[in-house]
Amino acid sequence: MTSKILLVDDSALARRSTRRILEGAGYQVVEAEDGMAAIEQYFVEKPDVVLLDLVMKGMYGLEVLAKLREMDPQASVVVLSADIQTSSREMVQAAGAAGFLNKPADAQQMLDVVARAVERGDSWS
Amino acid sequence: MELTALQQDALIELLSIGFGRAAASLSQLTGHRVVLEVPQVSVHPIATLDSALRSLVSDEVASVHQIFSGPVAGDALLILDYKAAGMLKELLTDEAPLPLPLDASAREVLTEVGNILLNACLGTFGNLLQVQVSFSVPQLNLDSLSEILRSLMVNREGLRYGLVVHAGFRLRDAEVTGYLVIVLSVASLDRLIRSVEAWEQGQS
Repeated sequence: MTSKILLVDDSALARRSTRRILEGAGYQVVEAEDGMAAIEQYFVEKPDVVLLDLVMKGMYGLEVLAKLREMDPQASVVVLSADIQTSSREMVQAAGAAGFLNKPADAQQMLDVVARAVERGDSWS
Repeated sequence: MELTALQQDALIELLSIGFGRAAASLSQLTGHRVVLEVPQVSVHPIATLDSALRSLVSDEVASVHQIFSGPVAGDALLILDYKAAGMLKELLTDEAPLPLPLDASAREVLTEVGNILLNACLGTFGNLLQVQVSFSVPQLNLDSLSEILRSLMVNREGLRYGLVVHAGFRLRDAEVTGYLVIVLSVASLDRLIRSVEAWEQGQS
């Protein structure tokens, strides 16, 4: 069965380029352009993994992550962010994310992280 | 307020690392080698910031603006002239650029590129100086340089000095030149300089 990824990013460019990588690898992709839409889509689409941007208009990524995990403790959420700080990565891991990728993401690295998150619920090595 | 030679050296070293990270990101995005110039850094009173930048860019510019906060706080801008902005869009989408105010796709590209480059540069500072920097949602502006700088000053009485950093970068033999401008209050500028000095001493 094809795994489904929910892509959450307020940048249409980022969503397009990430969608291309994921669909090219055979994933089914659904999108949300902000936090509120992401929460709605999560319960409608029931994705296997969420790829979540951190800095967005409206709800920030960490709020979305907290909300998803509160509503579904099994939610597998990989953060994809331009924020390269080590402290941000640690914060995201402590908040229960399944993984962390920096933008611009290397396609193969993204696919490896998503595959691990789909398979075992997290991708931290 | 002027930087000492030692402070300038330390800031340039730090900025080179940050810009290097940004250049690597830009290279990865475009698939082309990026050649980077040594960053130039200077401090200007806010009132003279416009004339300081006017020597670098033409009046109509595309800028991506992010507010950053933390122990060091202020505004960061990536500034490109329209020609450079159009070239970036072409490199990233294979689509010919339209006049920038009409080109929604180009505006999308610039906002995301600006987001990545500003985060790469300032995030590197955060890592090296061991401070957490938080960022606002990036905003793209297509306006005159004067108007962009004026809008930064609204309700910001604490902003007295602007740290101007500029580094040219070239893509694919073409001259796409961008500038990073950081605007800080006196207190934040002082903290940044102290953090950089402490970092630089830790390096030796």
